[in-house]
Amino acid sequence: MESAPVIASCGAVTALGLGLEPLERALRENTSGLRAGNRFAGKRHQSNVAGYVPEVVLDELRATKPSHADAPAFLLAESALRQAEQGAGDWLKAVPPARRGLVLSTTKADVAALERLVGGHSCSVPARRHVLPGLLATDLAEARGLCGPVECVSVACVSGLLALQLGARWIQRGIADAVFVVGVDLVTDFVMSGFTTLKSLDPEGCRPFDRTRTGLSLGEGAGAILLTRQTRAPSATLNIAGWGSSNDANHLTGPSRDGSGLALAIMRALESAATAPEVIDYVNAHGTGTPYNDAMESLALQSVFGERVPPFSSSKGLLGHTLGAAGVLETMVCVIAAARGLLPGTPRLRERDPAVSAAVLAEPRAGVIPGRMLKINAGFGGTNAALVLARKGL
Amino acid sequence: MESLIQELKTKIIEALHLDTVKPSDFKEEEPLFGTGLGLDSIDALELVVMLERDYGIVIQEREVAEKAFASVRALGEFVLNQRKPCSDGTQS
Amino acid sequence: MNDPVIRTASCLGLDGYGNDRIGWREWPPELRAALQRDEWETLKWSHLFGSDAPRFSRLDGLSRVGLMAVELLEVDWSRLQRERVGVCVETRLGSLATDVRFLETLSPSVFTYTLPSTVIGEICIRHRLKGPVLCLLPSQGAGGRAIEAAVEWLRQGEAAACVCLACEAVDKKVAGFLPLADDPAVRGWQAGALLLSRPTGSRRESPLGAGTLRDLARRLCGRPAER
Repeated sequence: MESAPVIASCGAVTALGLGLEPLERALRENTSGLRAGNRFAGKRHQSNVAGYVPEVVLDELRATKPSHADAPAFLLAESALRQAEQGAGDWLKAVPPARRGLVLSTTKADVAALERLVGGHSCSVPARRHVLPGLLATDLAEARGLCGPVECVSVACVSGLLALQLGARWIQRGIADAVFVVGVDLVTDFVMSGFTTLKSLDPEGCRPFDRTRTGLSLGEGAGAILLTRQTRAPSATLNIAGWGSSNDANHLTGPSRDGSGLALAIMRALESAATAPEVIDYVNAHGTGTPYNDAMESLALQSVFGERVPPFSSSKGLLGHTLGAAGVLETMVCVIAAARGLLPGTPRLRERDPAVSAAVLAEPRAGVIPGRMLKINAGFGGTNAALVLARKGL
Repeated sequence: MESLIQELKTKIIEALHLDTVKPSDFKEEEPLFGTGLGLDSIDALELVVMLERDYGIVIQEREVAEKAFASVRALGEFVLNQRKPCSDGTQS
Repeated sequence: MNDPVIRTASCLGLDGYGNDRIGWREWPPELRAALQRDEWETLKWSHLFGSDAPRFSRLDGLSRVGLMAVELLEVDWSRLQRERVGVCVETRLGSLATDVRFLETLSPSVFTYTLPSTVIGEICIRHRLKGPVLCLLPSQGAGGRAIEAAVEWLRQGEAAACVCLACEAVDKKVAGFLPLADDPAVRGWQAGALLLSRPTGSRRESPLGAGTLRDLARRLCGRPAER
């Protein structure tokens, strides 16, 4: 792809803690950020295991902005944005505010605030505003001095990848010189209850691609990725080489059993990146741990890659399913892994399902610098999205 | 049993928003799923919710649900076997 | 000129419905009164389209108004490559009314509609569309990027045609929770849709002018301006 936008820097707040360092450590050690929590003690959820952002981290963020103490979606996203800004090189200082844009990716924004409003409990003005994802985007842009284009993308679990696609397009079209793509979602009673009614949660915690997997685990957090042109950030090593999306046109909550919708999105991404399947070195899967998704996904990979499915893994056992933040955080996993020369494993995978391709990585593979990676996600409503990441110079 | 079956037909229609279906359209022995009614996995979950709410029956496993929803008659038999008394001591 | 054009346009709201072919039609007074009372279930698929769409009442308000707007576009899908038709939605308030309903009911089928993008799934399932998808939630005062996204897809060859839909479905009760000033352009129940594609030379096509999706749809349907 001509003038592929580069990934200049990242920022994150996840179940593993604040920043990229705990994320990197967990990738190397293949550990999981999922744990049993008592945030919803007294509620009858199918599981209390999730990728909760540690309370001590939330408290730290609240202390820096007391006016937003009950607005965690904002706090998490702002922290990630701040980190990405600080991690950028000097080039960013030369970009005026009007040329800096924001794309927010979220499925439910601050739905916890909506719960309180409906229940007649107190709610700050900011939190109430952030019930609306569009206003959350506006407020984040204002807080970070981003006066260029601002948009909010919300397409279920593929929001993050579609937000990255939109940000990349803005860079290519020259309507912004620096675009912060930030994804955020919370583990709330609302979403836990929702997946409980669908009986989709694994009570013990998700085990992607495992023979005895029974469901997913939710996760929360925020991830921010800063995009710009290669010429502005010459030291950036990874770019967004191509993208694609599709709809299964099959069922609202179950993916097309044959994986054809996801395969279509992957083919579109490879085509837009002018990349043949054979040169993909690693795939970061959607891999939620539900019986249906993981089987479908393996079929999709096999239909695209034939006999030679590249090594692939799921990060849902690492962070939980972070919904609107997933596409951004899981792309970040690819970025960090590539920088450290390893292919991520699949935390919590114990025994591979024989129906899943043997190319799945349970453990990380060190000493590999992937040249091209594929990131995929699938979501409610039959949506699918894929992103191709490539090393500079390829 | 017959009045229970009629009651279940009405509840199924309500719970699943089957606008164009009348109780008399239900064939009691016919499978509820995988037929012309076009019911899907979300409908199965709605029926699970309905059973819990209206009959106090909790289904945890998919296999139990599949057997119970095999037909309207199968559902009737399942409910009769499982039904718990209401808190005021009467049968629901 | 190879710029994308508007093939057809449609509109519906509390006052009535229409498209670029039939113009704007007001609802019968009783139906209009029911819609104004937020009794959206009163409007059945058969009011507009003859036969009842199966399971229509399972859909939430947003999906219903969106699906109806797309049906009103009167697209001859057989003349398009469905696999390459994209769907782009713009909604400021999204699934909020359904979110509140889920909090009240904890129903699994209601939960599936607690995403603004579920309407995309409904449209794609009904019309078997497999193209690129996007759903944007503009903040107050912004909007129109759904068209921008669709134009990009068409220009880059990522889609053969695109359904652009702007929709809202928020009742007065839920609006009471929200931090918006009174904005008649946003509250209530309404949708505007456009089908965009490369020019084909058909007489029904019109050039893509400036303006938001809703304004363009409204103008093409001859819908009176809001008071």
